Amino acid sequence: MKYWLLAIGLWPLAATTYGQTPSARTASSQQPTATSDTLLRAMKDEIARVQELIRLRVGLDPPYYTEYRVEDTVSHSITASLGALVDESDEAFRVPSVAMRVGTASFDSSDHVYSTAYAGNRYDPGRLPLDNDYLAFRQVFWLATDRAYKTAEDAIARKRSSLKNMTQPDVLPDYSSAPPAHLILPIERKPFASDTWKKEAIRLSGLLDAYPKVLSSGVEIHSSQSTNYIVTSEGTELRTPEDVAYLRVSGHGMAPDGTQVRDALVFQAFSPDGLPSEEVLTREIKALGEHVTTLSQAAVGEAYDGPVLFEAPAAAQLFVQLLGDNLKVTRKPVSDPGRASRYSPSELENKIGSRILPEWMDVTDDPTQTQFQGHTLLGHYVYDMEGVAPQPLTLVEKGVLKSFLLTRTPVFKNYPGSNGHARMTGAYGTRSPGFGNLFIRASQTTPAVDMKKKLIDMCRDRNKPYGILIRKLDFPSTASIDELGQVSQAAGGSHPVVPPLLAYKVYPDGREEMVRGLFFHEVTTKSLKDIEAASDENYVFDLIDSNAPFALVGAGSFTTTSAVIAPAVLFEELELEPAKEETLQPPIVPPPALTGQPANTAAARPSIDKPSRGRQGAVSN
Amino acid sequence: MRRLLLTFVLTLPLAAASAPSLLDILSDELQRNFTILKQNGDPPPYYMDYTVTDEESQSLSASFGTIDSHSKDRLRYLDVTLRVGTPQLDNYHSVNGQKGRFTRGEVVPLDDVPDAIRRRVWLDTDRTYKLAARRLIEIKSNQEVKVKDADSSADFSSEPPATYQEPPPPIGSIDEQWSERARKWSAAVADFPDVLYSSVSLSAQRLSKYMVSTEGTRLLHGRNFVSLSIVARGKATDGMDLVAMQDYQAADLAHLPPPAEVEAAAKRVGHDLADLVQAPAVEPFVGPAILSGRAAAVFFHEIFGHRIEGHRQKDEAEGQTFTKAVGTSVLPSFLSVVFDPTRRTLDGIDLNGYYTYDDEGVKARPVTVVENGVLKTFLMSRSPIDGVDHSNGHGRRQPGLEVVSRQSNLIVESKKQVTEQALRDMLIAEVKRQNKPYGLYFDEITGGYTTTQRRGLQAFTVIPLMVYRVFADGRPDELVRGVDIVGTPLSSFAKILATSDKPQVFNGYCGAESGQVPVSASSPAILVSEIEIQKKQHSQDRPPLLGRPIDPGATK
Repeated sequence: MKYWLLAIGLWPLAATTYGQTPSARTASSQQPTATSDTLLRAMKDEIARVQELIRLRVGLDPPYYTEYRVEDTVSHSITASLGALVDESDEAFRVPSVAMRVGTASFDSSDHVYSTAYAGNRYDPGRLPLDNDYLAFRQVFWLATDRAYKTAEDAIARKRSSLKNMTQPDVLPDYSSAPPAHLILPIERKPFASDTWKKEAIRLSGLLDAYPKVLSSGVEIHSSQSTNYIVTSEGTELRTPEDVAYLRVSGHGMAPDGTQVRDALVFQAFSPDGLPSEEVLTREIKALGEHVTTLSQAAVGEAYDGPVLFEAPAAAQLFVQLLGDNLKVTRKPVSDPGRASRYSPSELENKIGSRILPEWMDVTDDPTQTQFQGHTLLGHYVYDMEGVAPQPLTLVEKGVLKSFLLTRTPVFKNYPGSNGHARMTGAYGTRSPGFGNLFIRASQTTPAVDMKKKLIDMCRDRNKPYGILIRKLDFPSTASIDELGQVSQAAGGSHPVVPPLLAYKVYPDGREEMVRGLFFHEVTTKSLKDIEAASDENYVFDLIDSNAPFALVGAGSFTTTSAVIAPAVLFEELELEPAKEETLQPPIVPPPALTGQPANTAAARPSIDKPSRGRQGAVSN
Repeated sequence: MRRLLLTFVLTLPLAAASAPSLLDILSDELQRNFTILKQNGDPPPYYMDYTVTDEESQSLSASFGTIDSHSKDRLRYLDVTLRVGTPQLDNYHSVNGQKGRFTRGEVVPLDDVPDAIRRRVWLDTDRTYKLAARRLIEIKSNQEVKVKDADSSADFSSEPPATYQEPPPPIGSIDEQWSERARKWSAAVADFPDVLYSSVSLSAQRLSKYMVSTEGTRLLHGRNFVSLSIVARGKATDGMDLVAMQDYQAADLAHLPPPAEVEAAAKRVGHDLADLVQAPAVEPFVGPAILSGRAAAVFFHEIFGHRIEGHRQKDEAEGQTFTKAVGTSVLPSFLSVVFDPTRRTLDGIDLNGYYTYDDEGVKARPVTVVENGVLKTFLMSRSPIDGVDHSNGHGRRQPGLEVVSRQSNLIVESKKQVTEQALRDMLIAEVKRQNKPYGLYFDEITGGYTTTQRRGLQAFTVIPLMVYRVFADGRPDELVRGVDIVGTPLSSFAKILATSDKPQVFNGYCGAESGQVPVSASSPAILVSEIEIQKKQHSQDRPPLLGRPIDPGATK
């Protein structure tokens, strides 16, 4: 073990990237037009110097594609628990990134396991000034471009060496062409009503004080307003807003055997005003309190193999995982012979032209839609991260797989170009695909009110004492690492699917009994063919998707907003089983009694006055 | 604006006055858990404490005349200590050099709402208790199969409980005035073409610690930390990466040097970097050298300080350089070393290692570890070692990690002092005596590290920034770059010939098992008869291929 002493100045830079409320100087500078936008001007002027770099002829392969990207973000987070503030933070940051490809579109520096590995010391600071200073912006891009170029030159050499003496089954080009895109949208930043939201978070978290069985709980409110800038050497210029707000609630309890039980709520919208009304939030949080209370007294579900009904939002949550995730295809990176790379292929990779759903079901992704039956669709976007405009895309037609979500990095020979789904940063110098608004449509439907009856009928036909009804899955997952381990174990070798948060036994008389501790076993894309019925009502499930497994909340390095529009579905047969792991015994000391006693008011925090906000027209989820 | 600021300042003491309510909440929950666990737990705990560390932080960073980040944050962390077994053998006993980790620095609410805090504390106590009970079984079964530890001392010493309540003073705000200064300073340091990266970072932290124990300790104490640092980085034409820096630590924003002085320092940092880029790369060398007070301070912190941390003396995996050396001569007889956490300042500089109580609630006190070259004792937490039964107030940690013995304010005192000029003359005399062309002067240093364990070389490194060749023939001193000092601890001490009469302070953060803790080290400059330096391994990467955008021709 090494012990060290360092002067404070050499601390890693990352330690200081938290941000406060932007200073007046920053905030007031946020209304530039296209021509007065200093940042955009600096990006364009500095990217033009790549031509000089090409003229220097330092490396064997000149850059043929350069992309500058900036994420300019102001965000606010508030966390509260049982009527007490736990954390409040405001951040402001501008993150630049430079992507460069050297070589040619048919063979370039991307898609090698070391495509983004740089051995030297980094001089570009990894963040841009918050002040609008033209030269300081260019200084950052100059150094970042230099590093990107050296990285790309190293990468293409390594890639050539890795491929030496290897035969590739399919030689695909490395990058497909796309027309330059131009869109400069206005930047409209609205002040975040932090005091109002702080009070609201504290109040909402205090609602759980009425549920002694909820042993730990928290409410988190977050709002971020971003402007994304993309400037490329192909002439693309984009400045688009990407705002998101979310409110998350978690509640944990404990069964008598010591097993943890929990429920979670996640709401998201493009802005805090789009979050559900106080009335809806209050109702939902009380329901969460009831759920955790019931779960803490519920019996563990037994192993089950039979009909399962997914009501909203569980059906949409299942489709995201089985379809959404497997429609995102990425290319296997080039690696040195005999060395494994981190890459997991899609379950649907070889299923083009095959039936994967009932004949009466279709799947399309349509990011051009902004509304569905009065709900704002969070998966709407005009251009993807590679400047490609998405069109409505048929993914599954009459049950048959037709296409995938694709970026400019070709994955299959028959799909050479992008269909505008580069939605996340990806590995090895590429972008990852993501969906926008994923529509799951059924042409044969059952009235929503009859779905449960259908489940009961199926169980009766099969002589099952009960059927299983699932109302909510843990997706995007809010599970702990331990719990995720159990999910993988229960999956039995297949791609794991997150477990239900709310599952019920449904008896022939229609009675529902909540069960806890069930996990899916071997539920894969193959299971989708066993869908027996779909409801005639559709549900909009919007989510913050990420590049983390199970879109694990807080874990991904990149997030994007999406929506799934799906009916309730009834499966003929699915397997569920209880966890196999032992659990810790319950605490020896009983929980402290809840008193409802408020904080000593003299200890009130000093706070800054901010205008309060009206909360009308909130959309319920 | 001014009025607002005043209101802010006035409200804080109010908040502080009501702060004991957190102590009450913690104390109630501690008693409740301890009582029930003692009745129903198997094994029952014999000791518990709760510590809540309340960190209020502000920071700002600037580069190229612009602000690139600023933040303000406040968080409270809970550390639970729970001991099962007996003071002689408990769950904190180390096995094969491995100590259990039980606390995790759980985040607890900022508002003193009893329900909210008690629930979190209760759950974390349960988690800690389960780990502790399991660990004790492991320790006991390990004792059955292994040979007896060479050091048979107990795991926990008895110390008098402490009661003291004094919240740290309010800390000023890093406001627009500081932003404006930081912009100016960052522009000054960046004003040299060789400076590729530079930054000016300012941070201020108010740290309050609340502690209650089942022995009756009830503490509220803390202090403020302010740090300002100026860094410039660049690359020589051969690819070597270079750094120049200046940093200031203080207990208050008002204790920082006047803005004009900082601006001059910023210019100097940029200038130093430019000089380093042009300087010749060093050749391997063995010969006499002077370490400036700051360099010597880091030298003592690394090669001496870490080796007299108490817990290392009973850890079988450790090198134990000084374990059996109490009462013997370990340093030249003209040197003494004191660790004094009660000392707030030295020569007008705030010391980073100042505190009133350590992280086990033991009152801070000065500890003379070396007197006239003779080793007297070790730095002790409440983990006793053979021959030292009690803590001397050096049990420290960063929230979320377990306490071990750590350094505080290391102060080197010398009886063989000469003026700086005389020390330089002595260096030149020594260079001539050894028939060397030059000696070395280590001026600025960024820190160092050392390895104290048996596996791995018992060595230390200090990271010099500004090193000069001092020629015997009277030529001007010459800056060199790419210097690495290599050495082993015991041989280095014997080579100290004399010291200057001017102590210098190095403030910083020290990292070890229990995380980062603020420390200082102070020493006069020292003359050593022999030091060995080697060429630093360096990058082969070229400097940027294109010129700066700011230069003529590059700017539109």
